[in-house]
Amino acid sequence: MELWYTHLMRETIDQDSLLVQGNRACALGALDAGVRFFAGYPITPSSEIMEVMARELPAVGGVFMQMEDEIASICACIGASLTGEISMTATSGPGFSLMQEAIGYAIMAEAPTVIVNVMRMGPSTGRPTTPSQGDVMQARWGTHGDHPAIVLAASNVADMYRLTIAAVRFAQRFRMPVIVLADEIVGHMRESFSPEIAGRYRLTSGDFDFTETYIHPEMVREVHPPHELGTLIHPHVTGLIHDETGFPTNDPKKSEQFLRELHDKVVHHRGELCLYDVKNVGKGRVAVVAYGSCARSARAALKLAEQEGIPVEVLHLYTLFPLPVEIIQELARRVEFILIPELNLGQYAREVRRLAENWTTVVSMGRIDGNLITPRDIVDRLAELVGKYESA
Amino acid sequence: MSEAPAMTDGLLSSRPYVEVRFGGSGGQGVILMGVILAVAGTRDRRHVVQTQSYGPEARGGYSRSDVVLANAPIDYPQIQGLDLLVALSAEAARKYAGSLRRDGFFIFDSDEITSPPPMDANSYGIPFTRLAVETTGRTQTTNILALGAVAGLTGVVSVASLEKAVLSMVPKGTEEMNLNALRRGLALLPEEWKRPSI
Repeated sequence: MELWYTHLMRETIDQDSLLVQGNRACALGALDAGVRFFAGYPITPSSEIMEVMARELPAVGGVFMQMEDEIASICACIGASLTGEISMTATSGPGFSLMQEAIGYAIMAEAPTVIVNVMRMGPSTGRPTTPSQGDVMQARWGTHGDHPAIVLAASNVADMYRLTIAAVRFAQRFRMPVIVLADEIVGHMRESFSPEIAGRYRLTSGDFDFTETYIHPEMVREVHPPHELGTLIHPHVTGLIHDETGFPTNDPKKSEQFLRELHDKVVHHRGELCLYDVKNVGKGRVAVVAYGSCARSARAALKLAEQEGIPVEVLHLYTLFPLPVEIIQELARRVEFILIPELNLGQYAREVRRLAENWTTVVSMGRIDGNLITPRDIVDRLAELVGKYESA
Repeated sequence: MSEAPAMTDGLLSSRPYVEVRFGGSGGQGVILMGVILAVAGTRDRRHVVQTQSYGPEARGGYSRSDVVLANAPIDYPQIQGLDLLVALSAEAARKYAGSLRRDGFFIFDSDEITSPPPMDANSYGIPFTRLAVETTGRTQTTNILALGAVAGLTGVVSVASLEKAVLSMVPKGTEEMNLNALRRGLALLPEEWKRPSI
């Protein structure tokens, strides 16, 4: 079989080592996943994704367009998607804000596309070269109306590659936009990793096969068949509530059925969508739940805490939405408290608290000065909390 | 995995987890130094993470590049304490010297930094800019010459890997000039440049 991860393999320094920048790895993942249309508008700290796509797409017969802004960028991606192309755009907070209305349209029209948001400090133009996780709830609820969301979070350079591929596969399979969140640290860092991860990467939720066979030939029941332009079938695509013909309807029953189907296609496949990794499973007295850059701090803190006699379990989430409900609730049943380090004021902690508060205490640990949370910060907070619970 | 290239003798080559910072001002090639060291470290079969921080200016302003090299996968990507600080500006020396570990290495451009902060660490003051101009006639090769000195004095990466990394990263047509600068740096004798510690 022909090697399908050829773009990544071109980056090898020698036969078995790679050193790639995060944003570059994201673009390579997109190319290896078959993305052949990219429309975007440059913005720090995501611009390198666009630069790589601009250089590489024409060589593989793809189309690259620099648009006049981010609204046009995502709309072009939706248009390409309706012709059957796999499309992608990349941006940061300010551009992601502009994309929100069209993200809703893509959900409604069931147009698969991938949106990468390399987060920087906000609100507004904020601090362009500074990491943040401030857009987590925007990724979930940025567009209006009741809608489902698939949101992945990358914590290292290898993630930027493989989660971009996962995002493409999820978008195709569930026919909806998929959002990949990274941050300035992950996007701009260069990191070594083994090319072995490219073919098959073990995640706790099962062997996740990133090759194209992953797309099921038969769409699941809840997923509407695609309306593809240029197939000689006259499609009708609209942001209005519509029935199976694609034309608008005001029928209450049909409206509810349609919206429920949009949700159900995600919720009913949570097991497949929720990618995660647990360290020290069942051995922790307390737990840290983390994603993105903070998951790296949490993993380092696990080792430090062990040395200091605090047994910790770390739940590293690659999928933020749909919420990994069962995974979090199982964890909540076995630990005294859950600490959630985030580069925001507790956006995801609120979600976890909602799921876990019947069984355990959820403590938010937010940092918004533009620096990462250090492993020391996490261990100190854990020690403080353990002490507090012992004395209580 | 194929055989890792032999490491040069030196203290940092034997440490399982090494944290390095290159600091200077924009335009000195500080970020490139970090990237080249990261490539060389990868060639040495180390796990490597390189991050950077810089101001918005094209020239001037602060610039720094951090590299973590380790024998095991790296979790926390940023610097927690420095094993090696390479300073090409007085501001970088002043700002980052406090993060050096006691058994760390402090290597600075003595043309730029005339009153270095007092140190417990192994200190080396070397006139990188002047040596670069003497060797290649170009101040732009200062960063590569300094990288040679860093590898020679500390063994943080192997010479073979560093040479290959430099050749793969510098602009086409400047390979020989940069290799000359690198070798001049590698040839520096530690006893000649070591500063007394406090």
